[in-house]
Amino acid sequence: MKQVLLEGLLVALAGAAVAFAANALSPQGLRLVNDYFPGAPQAHTSPGTGTNPLAAVNGTNSHALSPEEALAARLRQNGLKLIGTDEVLKLFHDPRLEQDLVVFVDARDSNHYEAGHIPGAYQFDHFHPENYLAAILPVCQTAQQIVVYCHGGECEDSEFAAVMLTRDAGIAKEKLFVYGGGITEWTDRGLPIEIGSRKSGKLSGEKK
Amino acid sequence: MKMNQPKNQNTLDIVAVLVRWLLGAVFIYMGLNKAVHIVFHRADITDGPVAFLKLVHQYDMTSNPVLLNTIAATLPWFEVFCGLLLLTGIAVRGAALMVLTMLVPFTLIVLKHGLDLAAANAVPFCAVKFDCGCGSGEVVTCHKLAENCGLIFLSAWLLGGRSRQLCARFSLLNPAPAKIETPKPAGE
Repeated sequence: MKQVLLEGLLVALAGAAVAFAANALSPQGLRLVNDYFPGAPQAHTSPGTGTNPLAAVNGTNSHALSPEEALAARLRQNGLKLIGTDEVLKLFHDPRLEQDLVVFVDARDSNHYEAGHIPGAYQFDHFHPENYLAAILPVCQTAQQIVVYCHGGECEDSEFAAVMLTRDAGIAKEKLFVYGGGITEWTDRGLPIEIGSRKSGKLSGEKK
Repeated sequence: MKMNQPKNQNTLDIVAVLVRWLLGAVFIYMGLNKAVHIVFHRADITDGPVAFLKLVHQYDMTSNPVLLNTIAATLPWFEVFCGLLLLTGIAVRGAALMVLTMLVPFTLIVLKHGLDLAAANAVPFCAVKFDCGCGSGEVVTCHKLAENCGLIFLSAWLLGGRSRQLCARFSLLNPAPAKIETPKPAGE
């Protein structure tokens, strides 16, 4: 028995060393000291689907709240504002968009971003901030209004990206808006999406 | 009765090898799915360790980012490591012990979440489906628990087993006993 425990300990030590090394060497590896969920509420009730993550907001079993209401409550806690598709659309048609005074930020990963994003949106995957901050920080600093979005629904990436931009990058909260409906609602409304890189010119999905 | 003993031992050896390979393959597959590429079924879940990190975060096991990141970054590779040891037959009982150490608490966590979800959504326990972060996407909680109980049983069996068949090095601390060679008859 003692021998088995000792062997287990050796396996644990060797396995831990291999695991840390593999994470460090992997291009998809995580940075252990980063806070990837800044401003996150403490008590989710639910991993995955079929649950209401809202109870986490006020510590109450708030089944009456819709995902959007819960998102709005969480954003309020972090001093941020939720924005709907109609307001997003107004900003999308705002002439200031051309001068980067109105900026759209896509908080999803590269695969999803390249599959289709709001035309002209910058990408900011907050799980790999080092790849994006240099490009978006100057833009966000001079912008007057910034709209951050992800998939919509239960997706939390836009909130965390927005909190990271305010908390770590010093962007003023007043000009940041989180588009709760995200790309799902945008495409459901038949609005145009840009495929590939930013300003690629490849548009699709626009209703005639 | 005694004549059946070697035959039974052979069968047991074959079963032990198959169990070891099965457990090893399962852990390598599950670990790699989490560490490198995950085929999850939610549109808002991305591939690789980020997806696993999000799932671990949803369990609310800890609010400490470093601990959370460490679990998400290392656990999948640790699973792959244990799987490789089992597959090749190195430190079999130590690896089986580590597999048990991962499986038991994780199964309890899945059970707790399943119960929470069933209560929160007022649905029967076995109707609850969620992505448990096991590396296989969304699963029915009951099925996952049954699968994990099976894996726990097999790991415990390997832990108590003595079969050294097809093992590169069954025990790290106690090398395989030397084979007793029968002396060759004189004149050969």
